[in-house]
Amino acid sequence: MSDATAHELVRDVEWQRLDPRMLLVHPVREVGRFLPVLIGLFVAGSASGGGGAWQYLGVLVPITLGVFRYYTTRFRIAQGRVELRRGLLNRHVLSTPLDRVRTVDVTSSLIHRLLGLATVRIGTGTASTDSDERLDLDGLPADRARGLRAELLHVAPAADAAEAAEGAVDGTGERVVLRFDPGWARFAPLTSSGAVIAAGLFGGGAQLLNELGAFPHLDTRDWSLGIPVWVGVLIAAGGLVVGVAVLSVTGYLLTNWDFRLSHTPGSWHLSRGLLTTRETSIDDERLAGVSLGEPLSLRWAGAARLSAIVTGLGSGASSSVLAPPAPRDVVTGVAGRVLDTASPTEAGLVGHGPAAARRRYSRAVAPALTVLVVAVAVVVAAGWSWWLLAVPAALAIAAVAVAADRVRSLGHALTDGYVVARSGSLNRRREALEVNHVIGWTFRSTWFQRRAGLTTLVATTAGGRQSVTVLDVPEARAVELARLALPELTGNFERRD
Amino acid sequence: MWLVGCLAEGLVLIAILVAVTLAWDWPSTRWWLVGAAAVLVLAYAAIVPRWRYLVHRWEVSDTAVYTQTGWWARERRIAPMSRIQTVDYAEGALSRLFGLATVTVTTASAAGALRIEGLDRALAQQLVDDLTLKADAVEGDAT
Repeated sequence: MSDATAHELVRDVEWQRLDPRMLLVHPVREVGRFLPVLIGLFVAGSASGGGGAWQYLGVLVPITLGVFRYYTTRFRIAQGRVELRRGLLNRHVLSTPLDRVRTVDVTSSLIHRLLGLATVRIGTGTASTDSDERLDLDGLPADRARGLRAELLHVAPAADAAEAAEGAVDGTGERVVLRFDPGWARFAPLTSSGAVIAAGLFGGGAQLLNELGAFPHLDTRDWSLGIPVWVGVLIAAGGLVVGVAVLSVTGYLLTNWDFRLSHTPGSWHLSRGLLTTRETSIDDERLAGVSLGEPLSLRWAGAARLSAIVTGLGSGASSSVLAPPAPRDVVTGVAGRVLDTASPTEAGLVGHGPAAARRRYSRAVAPALTVLVVAVAVVVAAGWSWWLLAVPAALAIAAVAVAADRVRSLGHALTDGYVVARSGSLNRRREALEVNHVIGWTFRSTWFQRRAGLTTLVATTAGGRQSVTVLDVPEARAVELARLALPELTGNFERRD
Repeated sequence: MWLVGCLAEGLVLIAILVAVTLAWDWPSTRWWLVGAAAVLVLAYAAIVPRWRYLVHRWEVSDTAVYTQTGWWARERRIAPMSRIQTVDYAEGALSRLFGLATVTVTTASAAGALRIEGLDRALAQQLVDDLTLKADAVEGDAT
């Protein structure tokens, strides 16, 4: 921190406000946040008749709040700490040492970009998920945000400061690993995000209609358009599928447009987004491993996605995405470049043996079989049509197929200093975690598992989903794996077996 | 401690059942349900705490902390000394009655906390001091 060239940090020693242009951003955003309430007020006002001025006063409240938000938020970077002070009634002071800064995100939404602003989100290793606890400097001029990011990351001792500075200054150290190809959007409908967006829109729309009192006016008798019901259902279903596909492709393009992954000495840089742009830097030292997601639908299309396991970044953080859904060989190529070795994502895995396979089948089939038996009992008792059994029967068959796929997926390996584990079917995931980022082991076994001689080995870590699970591995193999990975640790465990 | 804890939980459950039965004004034939619940609770209280006691182990070496917990699902956890972030000492209302304490050792991972329950108070305090010193002696920020 004695670095004389860190002029950004020196300049920020005094308490200061964010960029004044935020005076435009905050009120607009607050109005947006209060929009449902405002609409409700408006509707209620019109319904009860008169009192027109009150409805417009309602708009003033969020605007005032937005202005206050600007005047009550200050930050400074001094004495090796970043400090953020905010709040009107509840004063909130956040403070973190500079050497605990792990990631720095620069995000700009559409309105930020119009005004040339950016939000700097400083990520530390906190496990807190409360949005009040996040260190967001919302609204700095874009170039200053980038400068601040560079400075913050250089100060962190984990990066080789001299080397990193060199790379950033002349830009020669940068190598681009992945560049976006719009053709990849064809994989978007195969992910679940489209369905989520559709559900969200549907829910929001329904609520809005409800709020406006539209539902009582809907009358099913008006719906007879002179076509049979099943045609109507088919058209609706087809429309829904097309709608979801369009929405998911749009969502994919919006978030991943211009996706770019590059490496400068010391850290990885990600940038993406069409309207809201997002730039993330991840320290080399903090990159603990990668997680290769291959849901069933993506696997059918020969695609996969990749995210990083980063110390201090939770799994919910979308900033850890290393590759959006893209062709599988592209994604594994990226994984190989990121980890500096291809084996964690390419090498064959050791299967977990017949006992684990039996367990997969019994766990998948037992619930489906129970449903089937209950369904048969109900149908017999109530004298309903046997056709009703088609659904539970199909469910049971699907369960067997899924179990077979799970058996195929199950596996683990220890290669090139990475613990690799793969499991799952509908949402198959292959995780590779660097051995020196393993911060503990857990062996978990239920009575059933102990009888089958199996145990679930969990390697805990400080990033991503907090752990990598090796499911149902034979007990002796689990202990061996843990010992091979961290020899000095598990000695006592073997003795106790 | 676990025995008492179990019994207390069971009593609460039964009390709730009784209250619900009374409140809904069921015919008195439903009392057999309450009786069955009481039998289950007693069986649970008789077996599980003892089973738990047999399973639970802990050990602290120079390099790591080990625990073994659970009854039906058994869990063993290892945390290297170098990765320990905080050492918690807690006395619940119940455990204070018995002069016991719980020591929780957390690492930087949300999935990796080690709980050592039902330690003698003096031993627990000594363990906390010991762990704090040992964890402090290791360099790095424990991630």
